[in-house]
Amino acid sequence: MLVSWDWLKQYLDLDVSEAEVCDRLTLAGLNFDGSSTVDNDRCLDLEVTSNRPDWLGHIGIAREVGVLFDLDLKVPSADVSKITSGAACPMIVQIEDEDFCPRYIARSITGVTIGDSPAWMVNRLRTIGIPTINNVVDATNYVLMEIGQPLHAFDMNKLTGDTIRVRKATHDEKFLAIDHREYQLTSDDYVIADKSGAVAIAGVMGGKETEVNELTTDLLIEAAQFAALPVRTTSRRLKLKSDSSYRFERGVDPEMIDWASRRCCELIVDTAGGEVCEGHVYAGSEPSARHTVTLRFSQIPRILGIHVAEVEVRRILERLGNEVTRQNEKEITVIPASWRRDLDREVDLVEEVARIHGYDQIPEHAGVSLSASHQSDLDRVRNKVRMGMLGMGFDETLTRSIVSDVWSKAFQGWSLAEPLTTSMPMVKGEDRLRVSLIPSLLGARRNNEKFSYTDIDLYEIAKVYLPKPKALPDERYMVGITSGRDFFELKGVIEGLIGMLNPNVRITTMPYTDPLFAEGQGAHLIVDGTTMGYIGVVCDKARKAFGLQQPATVAELDLGALMKLAVLIPQHQDFSTHPAMNRDLNLIVDEDVSWSKLQDISYLAGGELVDTVTFQEIFRDPRKDGPGKKRVLFTVTLQAYNRTLTGEEADATIAQILAACDKQTGAKLLA
Amino acid sequence: MSLNDFIKQLDDLVEAASTRFEDAINQVDKEILEETRIEYLGAKSGKLKEVQKGLGKVSKEDKPVAGKRFNEVKNRLEELFQSAADAITGGSGKKGKVEAIDVTLPGKRPRLGHIHPITQTIDELKDIMGRLGFSAVEGPEIEDDWHNFEALNIPLEHPARDPLDNFYLNVASTGTGGGNQLMRSQTSTVQIRVMENHKPPIRIVSLGRVYRPDEIDATHYAMFHQIEGLLVDTNVTMADLKYVLRLFASSYLGHDVEIRFRPSFFPFTEPSVEVDMRWQDTWLEFGGAGMVDPNVLKAVGYDPEEVTGFAFGLGVERLCMRRHGINDIRYLYDSNTKFLAQF
Repeated sequence: MLVSWDWLKQYLDLDVSEAEVCDRLTLAGLNFDGSSTVDNDRCLDLEVTSNRPDWLGHIGIAREVGVLFDLDLKVPSADVSKITSGAACPMIVQIEDEDFCPRYIARSITGVTIGDSPAWMVNRLRTIGIPTINNVVDATNYVLMEIGQPLHAFDMNKLTGDTIRVRKATHDEKFLAIDHREYQLTSDDYVIADKSGAVAIAGVMGGKETEVNELTTDLLIEAAQFAALPVRTTSRRLKLKSDSSYRFERGVDPEMIDWASRRCCELIVDTAGGEVCEGHVYAGSEPSARHTVTLRFSQIPRILGIHVAEVEVRRILERLGNEVTRQNEKEITVIPASWRRDLDREVDLVEEVARIHGYDQIPEHAGVSLSASHQSDLDRVRNKVRMGMLGMGFDETLTRSIVSDVWSKAFQGWSLAEPLTTSMPMVKGEDRLRVSLIPSLLGARRNNEKFSYTDIDLYEIAKVYLPKPKALPDERYMVGITSGRDFFELKGVIEGLIGMLNPNVRITTMPYTDPLFAEGQGAHLIVDGTTMGYIGVVCDKARKAFGLQQPATVAELDLGALMKLAVLIPQHQDFSTHPAMNRDLNLIVDEDVSWSKLQDISYLAGGELVDTVTFQEIFRDPRKDGPGKKRVLFTVTLQAYNRTLTGEEADATIAQILAACDKQTGAKLLA
Repeated sequence: MSLNDFIKQLDDLVEAASTRFEDAINQVDKEILEETRIEYLGAKSGKLKEVQKGLGKVSKEDKPVAGKRFNEVKNRLEELFQSAADAITGGSGKKGKVEAIDVTLPGKRPRLGHIHPITQTIDELKDIMGRLGFSAVEGPEIEDDWHNFEALNIPLEHPARDPLDNFYLNVASTGTGGGNQLMRSQTSTVQIRVMENHKPPIRIVSLGRVYRPDEIDATHYAMFHQIEGLLVDTNVTMADLKYVLRLFASSYLGHDVEIRFRPSFFPFTEPSVEVDMRWQDTWLEFGGAGMVDPNVLKAVGYDPEEVTGFAFGLGVERLCMRRHGINDIRYLYDSNTKFLAQF
């Protein structure tokens, strides 16, 4: 809300500085957001919260200043009795739906001369950035900014028929507004209509056909109250915001509508001449009686933690315009001011007392009791994962949860269900809740490739949203990873990560085919028989689709599964303090014998003396070994818990391993 | 192989090697020296190793002689190498002389990753709140009307519920009993869930991603992070709120930080305040706070006559950007490794 300093001072005998006023207003909830000089006036920018529509006019702000500095407010009387003619208002007003329009006041003025507004009015409006048009339109804007009540002036002679109706628009009704734009209305919109059709979109904007221009002589002045929700819906749908719609959306003071109507007529006659018709129309109903609110004095220390004297409580509430109806030593009862629809519970009054008494009166050194707090397992595991990834050279990133349709289907390892969609996109063309982090990370790769960056190793810990019928979706935290390293390097990263969480877990890998992965270069990661992740080399076609030049590998792990296997508090295990012995084995096997098979056999056949079976390398020499063969070199580390192994024991164990490998895979030891 | 042949091989080897080591000395070239060492003395495929294989083919009676000669040659070659090495590096000729190195050459760095600045900010905030006894909790990012609005005292006609201001999901009524589904627009939802399932006292921080449609530019993003604190107990007052926020501010910004409460408006707190902190001579909006609105307490089955509480919420991005001097919010979600590597 922009405020003219000159204008504000009209309502108060104010002899404090602008800076002090702004400071006090800020600390009372009307935040000062800057100021500027306009000609000989000052323009103050004050932030009005949505619960205080009474601050959307100079009088409301002056009233607040009055409360803070203990000054009386001088509100113009808006008396039109001296400028009326005996005529009646020539229009009847019919309200179709009083829920939408509880009251509508129409006054008419005849014999006006359209011209420029007086300098004082022009200056004040200019200070707060409102363009001046003519003395009639300016007067309606002036009153709007004075009391926060929107008004509209119709050219009476352009209205057809004798009835103004507040009704719903018909479907597809066209309307030409004063901004010279045509709007297409729906049956959810409300209009002000005469016999020929809509002359205003209720509460939003008047029409071109009936607007006041230099030839206008007779006026119909509208001052009404419209319901917030429909006005907002219409204004948003039509992308048509106005000072009027803004105020109706927040609520006007139902008991000041008539004052605003009179005040507007008074200003018009002052500046444009003419006479106000004595008979005015009041359609709708009188505002209902305001109910009382009681404040128990005990609630002030209970909620605020400070004591405020009862006499001060009463002063604050009264100064704010509330009428005290009853008071005893325990409580005080008030009828809230008409412009304060936000005051209807005890706690609202507590807030008012705190606001005006000053939050700075509340001490900062209460003694909140100590309390134990704990870190959740989720946080512990997430932190471990982050530490591990940091150590392995990966940068953490964050990407958008809502993606394009194409991305949402690029990897569906976790769910084949149609991804959930949002009613509006997050950015153009992106309205799907992702079911995998991998596509977003490939997008992140492309962002970096654009700059020719190398070493693009990124991961993200975030949720995917797997649809579930008739319930909130299954939100699962995932660890998505992308790297320029090859399949086995990335697999090593994952093994390292899992090893860090639980050194005793064996991950098994099963081939997995997916359109995203190069043929034969994708896999499930399995722990205890369930898939807990995927890893693969991105195929050329997918790379092209994501606009990637360089090779890329990706993986995605279910953080929930990592939490299940994580050992958060490792337990000491007794270990052998006797020397270990390493034996290298070089076996010739058929091409289709997998490493994991040889490893499993070795552990099983070697028995308890086998500490680890470690892969070294694969070598192929078809000339020596024949086709379809490979040499697998690996190291068996032997160690006994309670003694130093002898060469014979080691030899015997290795012999068992060799025999088992031979028997089960036909492996031969390289001579 | 005859003994003579074997010895000839050894002699040729010494001759060739001394020429090569000489060469290295003349050119004062460490690389040639190293190449020569590998060529002749290499453990895997050096020429000496090659010749050694001949030793096995020498007849049994000639073996002692051949072996002795082989050892002499081996020692000779090592001498040749050592003296060449000493000559090149200006050594004193002592064995085991450590080669001088150019200490200004760069080290071999292992690659380290980085933690995202938003994560770092959240961790720090959680950490501070943890020390004040607040445990971090999380909840679903997809919520229903009840948890996102109704229970938080946000009625149907409230502007915050406008379809254009929220990411509602295109799913038919879901059977969750909570109305429409949407991406949560605040983390207060988690507080409702915690209160629904636990009796007071409550002392938590809820945090995570929240979503509000917004044109993305340097200062706006349609996805951001919030962290909210909640304390509900008997006899909790605004003075307690002020105290906790003062401790929080001192921990985060340093002991001498000034804080200021400005009245504000939020549907789920009353009284509501905006918390400002004095930072480099200006008041900076730190976040919103207030006493939990009685309607919220009622919505979760608490009795506002029995318990009171306070809540406060902070925008993580704003704090993070302020702290690290980040001037464009889009950097946070662009995954640019150059950006990420700064933190």
